[in-house]
Amino acid sequence: MNLLGSRHGLSRRDCLMLGLGTLLGGGFTSSLMAKNSATGKAQAKSVILVWLDGGPTHYETFDPKPDAPVEIRGNYKPIPTKIPGVHFSQHMTKLASIMDKLAIVRSVQHDQGNHGAGNHYMMTGAPPRIPVGCGAFVSFHPSMGSVVSSEIGALPGLPAYFTIPSMTRSGGPNFLGAKHAPFVVDGSPNSAGFRVRDVSLPKELDGAKQLGREEMRKAVDRMVRFADKQVGDPALAMDDNYKQGLDLIRSKEAQAAFDIQREPEKVRELYGRNEFGQRTLLARRLVEAGVPFIVLNEGGWDHHTNIFPTLDKRLPTFDQTIAGLITDLDQRGMLESTLVLVLGEFGRTPQVNKDGGRDHWSNAMSILFAGGGTPGGQVIGATDKRGYAACERVLSPENFASTVYSKIGVDPGKILYAANGRPAHIVSNPQPIQELMG
Amino acid sequence: MFVGSLLLINQQGNLKVEPALIQFQNLQDQVQLRVVDNLGVDFTSKATFKSSDTKTISVSATGEVKPLQSGNTSIIATFGNLTATSTVNSQIDKSKVPTFEKDIQPILTRFGCNSGPCHGKQRGQNGFQLSLLAFDDDFDFGAIVTEARGRRIFPSSPESSILLMKATGAVPHGGGKKLDPESTAYKQLLSWIKVGTPRTPKSEPKIIALEITPANLILPPKTKVQVRAIAKFEDGNSKDVTHLSAFQSSESVLTSVDSKGLIETGSLPGEVAIMARYMEKFAICYVTMPLTGATKTKLPARISSDHFIDTLLSNKFEKLGLSPSEPANDSVLVRRMYLDIIGRLPTPEETRAWLNEKSPDKVRNLAVQLVNRPEYAEFWANKWADLLRPNPYHVGIKAVFVLHTWLRDAFRKNLPYDQFSREIITAEGSTFRDGASVFIRDKRTPEEITTVVSRLFLGVRLECAKCHHHPFEVYGQEDFYQFAAFFARIGRKGVGISAPISGSEEMFFLSKKGTVKHPRTNEEMKPAPLKGKPMEFGEDEDPRAALAKWITSKDNNLFAKAGANRIWGDLMGRGLVDPVDDLRATNPPTNPELLDALAEEFRKSDFDMKKFIVTIVTSNAYRLSSVPNEKNLMDTRNHSRHYRNRPRAEVLLDMVCDVTGVKDSFPAMPQDSRAMEMWTFRSASEFLDSFGRPDPNQDPPCERLPDSTVVQALHLMNGKGVQAKILSDNGRAAQLAASPVSLESAVEELYLRCYSRMPTKQEMQKVLTLASDQKLNKRQALENVLWALINSPEFVLVD
Repeated sequence: MNLLGSRHGLSRRDCLMLGLGTLLGGGFTSSLMAKNSATGKAQAKSVILVWLDGGPTHYETFDPKPDAPVEIRGNYKPIPTKIPGVHFSQHMTKLASIMDKLAIVRSVQHDQGNHGAGNHYMMTGAPPRIPVGCGAFVSFHPSMGSVVSSEIGALPGLPAYFTIPSMTRSGGPNFLGAKHAPFVVDGSPNSAGFRVRDVSLPKELDGAKQLGREEMRKAVDRMVRFADKQVGDPALAMDDNYKQGLDLIRSKEAQAAFDIQREPEKVRELYGRNEFGQRTLLARRLVEAGVPFIVLNEGGWDHHTNIFPTLDKRLPTFDQTIAGLITDLDQRGMLESTLVLVLGEFGRTPQVNKDGGRDHWSNAMSILFAGGGTPGGQVIGATDKRGYAACERVLSPENFASTVYSKIGVDPGKILYAANGRPAHIVSNPQPIQELMG
Repeated sequence: MFVGSLLLINQQGNLKVEPALIQFQNLQDQVQLRVVDNLGVDFTSKATFKSSDTKTISVSATGEVKPLQSGNTSIIATFGNLTATSTVNSQIDKSKVPTFEKDIQPILTRFGCNSGPCHGKQRGQNGFQLSLLAFDDDFDFGAIVTEARGRRIFPSSPESSILLMKATGAVPHGGGKKLDPESTAYKQLLSWIKVGTPRTPKSEPKIIALEITPANLILPPKTKVQVRAIAKFEDGNSKDVTHLSAFQSSESVLTSVDSKGLIETGSLPGEVAIMARYMEKFAICYVTMPLTGATKTKLPARISSDHFIDTLLSNKFEKLGLSPSEPANDSVLVRRMYLDIIGRLPTPEETRAWLNEKSPDKVRNLAVQLVNRPEYAEFWANKWADLLRPNPYHVGIKAVFVLHTWLRDAFRKNLPYDQFSREIITAEGSTFRDGASVFIRDKRTPEEITTVVSRLFLGVRLECAKCHHHPFEVYGQEDFYQFAAFFARIGRKGVGISAPISGSEEMFFLSKKGTVKHPRTNEEMKPAPLKGKPMEFGEDEDPRAALAKWITSKDNNLFAKAGANRIWGDLMGRGLVDPVDDLRATNPPTNPELLDALAEEFRKSDFDMKKFIVTIVTSNAYRLSSVPNEKNLMDTRNHSRHYRNRPRAEVLLDMVCDVTGVKDSFPAMPQDSRAMEMWTFRSASEFLDSFGRPDPNQDPPCERLPDSTVVQALHLMNGKGVQAKILSDNGRAAQLAASPVSLESAVEELYLRCYSRMPTKQEMQKVLTLASDQKLNKRQALENVLWALINSPEFVLVD
């Protein structure tokens, strides 16, 4: 081991492996880390965030509790992974076989038990400022994707923040403005006729030609714009969107990335020939085109009833797709610069309920990290013996968001300003999860 | 002016201390002082305090007074060369010992021990569980005193009780150090353990309210004000609980509050609510920071009118130093009225007629005319469909269609809002005949119905109360299940919901049986209105009828307010309470006086929605331009200018159809239907999806997204449907091109259709020049003009 020459200096992991953890203490390693994040050197160029909307169970994915009573451990058995001593739940077979590439955080917890609030906390790194309802779409703070769009941006013509196939509840730009809202790609990339809608003029219409429409629009568009941002003029947002739309129409890179038909059948199979699989593949193509932040918003993870029969069908394809993505990125040499994340609002209740489901549970959740300079083969933190609550290395959504920001080269402690001059830290606690920083 | 004087140094020489007389009976009591001058300017944080007898009474630098023994003395507050005195009368009654409910629970709540993230969560923390925010005294007493074999309390050595050792951090505590051994709270806990952990006798007066004083503040930037929290008891007594209250600011960057109730304003103008919470009670202090300098020289302009809406809005503008915008011009106004009231654009003929109309009553006349058009019913029914329309895959296609018909009919008949609400709340009959009954086919349990009914008709969100007492709400679990008990006796016959197809008929009637139980106590709940008395019903009496009567009664302020606020929000772009269905003390209206007056007006009209709409539209406030001035550009919620907004998806699609002269076609709809007439969100339309109609794949369909997006911009630019309409041989552009009218008149017609105004000379010149430069024929030129008009914000927005 090269103690002094490693890429980011002496890491906490190195210390632990040498048994130096207690000797050096947290202070020393964290000061090294602070220096690392202060230099702002990005470990990742892109982030693919897989959002399992509804709140995926931690028991049936990455945090099985075989020793808990049956009403808690559920129907599934644990399976070993490539890393001795680390176990996943039984359907996670492909991911288990590449555990050396993954880091699983089992100890993020928070205090927001409903979808609206949980999504807000995890997507923005900030808790909702007032209590919000379960189905709420609320925004008190810019989402991570919007901040990356604003702080890092993308190549001209390409939106920096994509979400497929729909925006998550709190995935919006808040005060950063429409320019940094996600570009939504809906439709099914798994179907033969898939195209990203409206990014080119419909071929089947003979008369549809640009024929100087742009100039005509300039001539007729006389509506007064209220330039002061405090006014919140929606016409300004429309201008931003119009301009982005034009850029996209003119961008060859974007058009090529959208054309998933160019992908060899073997690769398409690797991701799974289903909607989720092909959307994930589309995300990889967008990463290749230079898009820094992509959210895959996958609904249907709110398993209040019949969780086991439902997951019997759902988990194998999920496992295949995520493992396929990580393997494919790795083989292309893109994994080192692409951070893959898998999470939802929260974990699920320990006791299987009377309907055979599990309910919302924010005291414990598991998050998968891979790539983007994340040291693989680690499990960070732990829940108690029955999976009730994170009890070891307890981490917050703020730590999670700060990790994502630090990896992509955004200083999570930076202060942004809303239109009325109100300052806001990107993340109130800018401390990343050090074990993941490599 | 009041505000101006705040900036001056007190020169009047009148300083006073609140309270002027303090009486102590208990060594654990504590009182927070405030020091103010005769104008109410706060000097607490600048004053120094001195006890005249430090053996009897102590006072901290921040004005916290504590008794040490019996005796009479005083506290002297000094600021500069001014002094003021508070008399203290301490008669310690040693027989008074702290008891659990009255003295200990407030401490556990104040220091967050029983909060959600700590021991209040459902499984507790490290084996120690308390009820969330102390809503279950028996449970908590058991957890502290008897559970864990009593090891949390050591009566023989009270100081060594784990409860105390953890709280002070003397032994490791996951929650950190919560209490200082020198604090009043610690001493209280200790003395409670010493005297044998007594419970509070049931006869002890109960707390009925919390007050925060002062409750309203208008403050300049960078100012500090001390507030006090006072608990009121049922026997008429009150007690200072500032030190046991938790304080929170709704916008801490604008105005912060510390743990002792000291408020400090920042440098930005705005409005903030400071909340104090003591046990399950809370109180709010409203802090307003006007625009700096705005009120120094002269009063801001008012909206000139004697309409009550204008008067009450203007009062608020004065308070904040806002100046209203100018009135909008006639073109903007006519377009706004058509789109807001009937959800469609005026035709060129209608616009011309309006622009030529000279009557001083022309706004009222048009408003009355519009609410009586058939499109009114389609448009407002469509809004309510967002709130009530179920997924046809869940309840069946026919049922959804029957509900849609019922809704449309209700608005066509102008069913008074109270009757409309009653019909939904008490719905009975067949899902194939009685539209309102489809609502209870969709929402199948008393709990589900409760959350929707309370939100829609009272603006009260009870979801949280279902599981626990909400920290920011006045309603608890008991309230929720008592409310749900009204829906316990809904009888059902026929085929229920059986996925994937639930197309059959179902009937609803009054059943003789059916109960709702409290999930914690398993007690059978008697129906009771929110914060009302439990009610008894005979076998033939329908509890829902009684509930509907209570909800829609003219004495029920929430009903009128929630209804009025929703309609206000529809017309004015934002509710006085926002979101419109979230009325609670911790989400106050921007203008409470106006909301009260609107509710009163709505009631007085016998809940006639058409009349109420006309009332709002005929205010001058409705007519204000969206163009801001220097003194209102930051206003986004006080209605000193009109707020631009984008019409809902269906309206916008109908607008595109109208201006292009080409109708859309929708699956499961008759030929030539308008988008506004659709009965389901499940009918495919790329346009409607792009513009954020509720997502049909969600059940229930999600809320509408009001934001504009790149997808929308692209759809207007390139969308196949929109393009086909612009380029259609039967479309507006082609027809105008084929007609003998000049290119110039044709362009005017398109302007009138899209923007409800004529093009300016300059605009016309540019358009004609471009058309000739680009060598476009007449039809191509008109197609391009139409495309350009549709793709501009002036078309997409209601200005």
